[in-house]
Amino acid sequence: MEVSRVRALRGANIWSHHTSIEAVVTCSAEECAITRRAGFEARLRDRFPQISSLQPHRQDGSVSMAHVLELAALGLQAQAGCPVTFSRTTPTVETGVFQVVFEYTEEAVGRLALKLAESLCQAALNDSTFDLASALHELRELDEDVRLGPSTGSIVQAAVARNIPYRRLTNGSLVMFGWGSKQRHIQAAEIDRTSAISEAIAQNKELTKTLLAAAGVPVPGGRTATDADDAWDIACEIGLPVVVKPKDGNQGKGVTVNVTTREQLNLAYAAAKEFRDNIMVERYIPGDDFRCLVVGGRLVAAARRDPPQVIGNGKHTVRELVEEVNKDPRRGTGHATSLTKIRFDDIALASLATQGLDAESIPAKSQRVKLRNNANLSTGGSATDVTDDVHPDVAARVVAAAQMIGLDICGVDVVCESLLKPIEEQGGGIVEVNAAPGLRMHLSPSYGKGRAVGEAIISEMFADGEDGRIPVVAVTGTNGKTTTVRLIAHIFAQSGLRVGMTNTDGVYVAGERIDTGDCSGPRSARNVLLHPDVDAAVFETARGGILREGLAFDHCQVAVVTNIGTGDHLGLNYITTLEDLAVLKRVIVQNVAPGGTAVLNAADPIVAAMADNCRGSVTFFAHDRKNPLMTTHRTQGQRVVYVDDGHIVAVEGKSQHKVPLADVPITHNGSIGFQVDNVMAAVAAAWAAGIDWDDIRAGLKSFQSDSDNAPGRFNMFDYRGATVIADYGHNPDAISALIQAVETIPAKRRSLVISGAGDRRDEDIRQQGTIAGTAFDEVLLYQDQCQRGREDGEVMKLLREGLEGAPRTSNVEEIRGEFIAIDRALGKLGDGDLCLILVDQVEEALGHIAKRVAEA
Amino acid sequence: MTKKKDIEVLRVTHLRGPNIWTYRPVIETWLDIGELEDLPSNKIPGLYERLTAWLPGLIEHRCGVGERGGFLERLKEGTWAGHILEHVVLELQNLAGMRTGFGKTRSTSVHGVYKMAFRTRQEKVGRAAFALGRDLLMAAIDDKPFDLKQQLADLTDLADSYLLGPSTSHIVDAATERKIPSIRLTEGNLVQLGYGARQRRIWTAETDETSAIAEGIASDKDLTKSLLQSCGVPVPEGRMVDNPDDAWEAAEDIGLPVVVKPYDGNHGRGVSLDLKTRAEVEAAYHLADRKGSGVMVEKYITGTEHRLLVVGKSVVAAAAGETAWVTGDGKSNIIKLVDEQINTDPRRGTTEASPLNALAPEVGDAEINLELERQGLNVYSVPVAGQKVLIQRNGNVAFDVTDKVHPTIAAKAALAARIVGLDIAGVDMVLEDISKPIGEQQGAVIEVNASPGLLSHLKPAAGEPRPIGPAIMDHLFGPEQNGRIPIVGVAGSQGNNLIARMISWLIQATGKHVGLVCGDGLYLDNRQVEKRNCVNWDAGQRLLINRSVEAAVFENGARMILTEGLVYDKCSVGVVTDMQGHEALKEYYIDEPGDMYKVMRTQIDVVLPDGVAVLNGDEPAVVELAELCDGKVIFYGVAGDTEALARHREAGERVVYLHGDNVVLATGTEESALLPLSSLKHAKGIAPTAVMAAVAATWALGVTPELISAGLMTFESKLKKPNY
Repeated sequence: MEVSRVRALRGANIWSHHTSIEAVVTCSAEECAITRRAGFEARLRDRFPQISSLQPHRQDGSVSMAHVLELAALGLQAQAGCPVTFSRTTPTVETGVFQVVFEYTEEAVGRLALKLAESLCQAALNDSTFDLASALHELRELDEDVRLGPSTGSIVQAAVARNIPYRRLTNGSLVMFGWGSKQRHIQAAEIDRTSAISEAIAQNKELTKTLLAAAGVPVPGGRTATDADDAWDIACEIGLPVVVKPKDGNQGKGVTVNVTTREQLNLAYAAAKEFRDNIMVERYIPGDDFRCLVVGGRLVAAARRDPPQVIGNGKHTVRELVEEVNKDPRRGTGHATSLTKIRFDDIALASLATQGLDAESIPAKSQRVKLRNNANLSTGGSATDVTDDVHPDVAARVVAAAQMIGLDICGVDVVCESLLKPIEEQGGGIVEVNAAPGLRMHLSPSYGKGRAVGEAIISEMFADGEDGRIPVVAVTGTNGKTTTVRLIAHIFAQSGLRVGMTNTDGVYVAGERIDTGDCSGPRSARNVLLHPDVDAAVFETARGGILREGLAFDHCQVAVVTNIGTGDHLGLNYITTLEDLAVLKRVIVQNVAPGGTAVLNAADPIVAAMADNCRGSVTFFAHDRKNPLMTTHRTQGQRVVYVDDGHIVAVEGKSQHKVPLADVPITHNGSIGFQVDNVMAAVAAAWAAGIDWDDIRAGLKSFQSDSDNAPGRFNMFDYRGATVIADYGHNPDAISALIQAVETIPAKRRSLVISGAGDRRDEDIRQQGTIAGTAFDEVLLYQDQCQRGREDGEVMKLLREGLEGAPRTSNVEEIRGEFIAIDRALGKLGDGDLCLILVDQVEEALGHIAKRVAEA
Repeated sequence: MTKKKDIEVLRVTHLRGPNIWTYRPVIETWLDIGELEDLPSNKIPGLYERLTAWLPGLIEHRCGVGERGGFLERLKEGTWAGHILEHVVLELQNLAGMRTGFGKTRSTSVHGVYKMAFRTRQEKVGRAAFALGRDLLMAAIDDKPFDLKQQLADLTDLADSYLLGPSTSHIVDAATERKIPSIRLTEGNLVQLGYGARQRRIWTAETDETSAIAEGIASDKDLTKSLLQSCGVPVPEGRMVDNPDDAWEAAEDIGLPVVVKPYDGNHGRGVSLDLKTRAEVEAAYHLADRKGSGVMVEKYITGTEHRLLVVGKSVVAAAAGETAWVTGDGKSNIIKLVDEQINTDPRRGTTEASPLNALAPEVGDAEINLELERQGLNVYSVPVAGQKVLIQRNGNVAFDVTDKVHPTIAAKAALAARIVGLDIAGVDMVLEDISKPIGEQQGAVIEVNASPGLLSHLKPAAGEPRPIGPAIMDHLFGPEQNGRIPIVGVAGSQGNNLIARMISWLIQATGKHVGLVCGDGLYLDNRQVEKRNCVNWDAGQRLLINRSVEAAVFENGARMILTEGLVYDKCSVGVVTDMQGHEALKEYYIDEPGDMYKVMRTQIDVVLPDGVAVLNGDEPAVVELAELCDGKVIFYGVAGDTEALARHREAGERVVYLHGDNVVLATGTEESALLPLSSLKHAKGIAPTAVMAAVAATWALGVTPELISAGLMTFESKLKKPNY
């Protein structure tokens, strides 16, 4: 078995909506029916007992190695704890070659699973060893490493539940929600509006105290000490006992609480000095540590944080008690569990010493013994949810504290006896305010109920009903994509939206081209969705990107499929039939949002059939309103767009909108049929996106098919009284449509300049020649720059074959070089002639033609 | 008591707010000049000469004379020690870098005792300047030597460490210019602009809108670059490298020449440009690796480094860098050439105040050494005459080019800041020509910096300084906003805490969160947060920094005005009920009833032009304050339509008076009865005059008569047990 071409499909794809690994797997004849090999399945199960049952998928009742690989890769991930379910293996047209697809949640884990699955298969084949435990361990470790942490994960889950799209921007916890101008960011429990100044204030304990006191929030009195003597003076001023701690410290390092004597204070001062230069002395507030989480102006969770402790029974030593507590299966060692094992280290021993104990002391029954002063979960502390206990006055103070510092997400540390009563009544106080607080203690506290913290944070960023999405229109088809995309973008811009657009010419944002080249793939679309100035996006969605990576978005508001016709690029990437192509192109239709719309060409049966795959509504368009599909659809009260009496007509139930074709210049009064198709598709898409009809009309009117708007899309020039039309059409349907269009333009002699793209099937290239032969008096064949894998002259030869016996063409020339061919054709033109130039290097060729026109 | 020929300091008080001297904080000193009372300056031989020799800048002091040299004229004619000390201290403050101008000296009722006040921007520096000034003046009087240079250096150091940094102080000045008040929250550069709920915060060139996440993104250069690139902002190709070999490999992948720089560097430290050979790349790697933050290799883009400062959505300033060259003379080594040809530029120096840094190749500046090495030289090499030697490629970016920035370049810089998410950012771009479209040249954003330094725009080495502060103000405050909340100050001695509480109650009726400080404590709405007497500056300040306070009411006593100054710089409504109580203020040299005028006027002096003075029309001494008010005046009284009230009404102005039992609001001839006093909840316990004052003050704030009336009927005059 050989695994080649492994791809990560990072969005919805031809197989499913799930992120998946796709691999091309070549099996030997024996491997095609591997379960017929004696003992294979037993050896496989022996090494990986949890693998799903091998359902035969061959007529002979056997299963291929590719299929085993698929199940192994999926099963290993599932056993390692990844929530994955989808997988599939499909034979290709080539014997023994399969496409294996299986879902992943983390790309790196999916890729590793494929590798491990391969060695599992080999081990089962060769009867060698496979260490399942270590494989699963490796997968688990990697997964824990790369997946989002629990805090960020909870926020992301809450976003997903609200249908808000998300994207990780780094391997860390920086996540973008929403798209374009509606995007927001979080990083762990910080949101993009969290002010850096407020974070800095929260780090400055003295300033924090001053500000909190100003806000009427109870805080422990005290101040910074200049030296140990001064510290003692402060202690005497504010009254013993006191807390001594480093100013601007963190995680409780160097903090000594309940200092009551001069000796203790000296020690505490020295301990704090280890961490910071500036030392604070504060009133010691007895009671428990509570953490209150404020999101926006609301208290959303509260937890009591207990330091690691054991309770004496009068029989066992401290060491034994700790061992007993650590037997609790919930106490893990990592960050993923709600409790962690209590560490029995120097800090614990020191803490015992302050209580007059050591490891071998036997505490009295019910005696509480602390093993540490801080309550961090990671060092064995525990968190108990007390959200429902919080007294309204406590909540008000805690919220005031967060507000005063200016933190929208804030962990407020309160020390008091209980949150059931106002803090002031108990002589308690707010001791610290934390930016980017940990959420774990509220999401999965050691004891009590988990709280919907992620939901609260998402609500803080997105108002009710908002999902951070901008209108996204995806356009695909064999011909007309680029013009349709440009026209939709133009109409959107007309309505005041800043539009991001991708197509085969580049990426455009608000009219400015920010990238060049073929940008019809998911990477460019993702870039547009990342751009802060984009209010709406229109994507030309080419087949290559869908195959390579899947879609760049989870849902689109509108999907437009212009046509499939006789197809294009057939034969590439195992897309061999029109049906395959339809499966590929309908991916965008399958991913229309539930409230969205698919705009489908009713005149193209393959396209029209995609209606069944759409979860949203469907708008059909076709020239002919009597098309049976159109009639039925209209009668059902659904939207249709057609041409009637020189107008584009859009009908939904009893309401209708009309646009005279005379007001749509690119159709040349409706004479250019394929442009009318493009206009219908664009109108339907704009209508689906809720664009105002006045804007749609104005957009159609102001859209010119000149080279600025759509380079290479039926650009017309006047050259010495002859009509020159340049277009990028490269397949039989496009050429048919162009011929249909140029035939409406009167001309004496008609000539064609044509090359052929090498990556098309032979028969398609030949057919282009045949079509040309019916409509042109003269054909100039040229060889383009990139032969896409063809031999020199091969494409021209195929075209010439197609031209053999042409009914109209009387003269055929072969020319090397696009510009030379153009010049040759132009040179032959007389007044009233027409020349259609199928350009290859679009911009350069258009520039060249424009130059010649200017010179003439 | 025998008098000495000395200046004895009886008291030094920092008046932190508007005071009897001026609107701004001052240090007030009480001086007993003893025997010097009989020795004005013209009677002390040589004093004039000694003082002008030590402090030649005194010539600029206009003093009362009103023109340059004014003070020196007085000094020559004869003036007393207190007054001289005032000018000495002001001059010392100026020399230490704390520019101030205001000072005043007044004699008291006691022979030889003066009150001298001088403006200061920072208490510690002011006090130190005062102590130094006294020593200096005594040395001048006694004709003793004085080491001014050393002492002044110490004072300057003190000023440097306690004054706001130059960028922050520029921003604060811009706020002051827009009449936006400011409060310094720390000894550092954290400043609050505006009051209470309308405040904003700045910390050097960060605002409270500057996102912490955005700062994180900006400091992650790789991430920044990839985000910028995705959105169509040109960036140089490059990547992180692990070791010198990897650096060379990256350089070959990217294509030579390359730049090698520390991942986390700034100010061009450890950055080497235009590297073409393996040896150069490896040397540069080691240089960059010293920072320890990792090393990046990037494509070298020819052009000049620029810094574009983005505030909000637009570029407000741009500066270009320069390369430094020397030309050999065949005799001097590089060190000497640099000193003669580069460091002689007066703009170059070693302090922050110098627009350009002095170059010091001899102390082992690694970038310079690497640059020289690439030219086959070292600092001791002696270039031949006419040989041009490149010393620094990436020098100070301090040449203002704001007016030249092409709009497409400005748009890219602003977009870069927006992508990262920073409201204020320094965008570093390498450009061939900043005045040409970005599309017509090689050019790229190489870094986006949070909290950018502003000095290169405020004090450019060449070109105009740019008004960054005003731009930041426009970014933080809308055109009509000044960051102020309604503030009511109530000054007087009679039952004013009741008036203050009543005003607070009536404002709450409008739905605003009100903060109140008075003799009964500190209140946030009706919550008593502090029980002790809060008629003091610290308590008042708590209201102004509280972000939830939408209106604030202050009770102000004469003693507080004398010892601390007012808490706020300006107020919407200033109430004065009476001018009594001078008897208790003898210790402040307030000796007779008339002296109260200059104390209580402070409350009226600070009324905003669109504010209102609310004055007790029944007290003739209070009525006199009306002419001091920049805004409108409302008189109130319980003695019916008195003459003062009547005249005011004739002028079409507002008064509040008692007609029988009815509280009447009148504007000119129009009047309407508000309510009968007897309808108040505890009518008997409340002095009618207090009700009048409170009604007038809230009416002045624009509270509707209906709300005032409803509020009065529910007002609890007796304090309830505090519920915290």
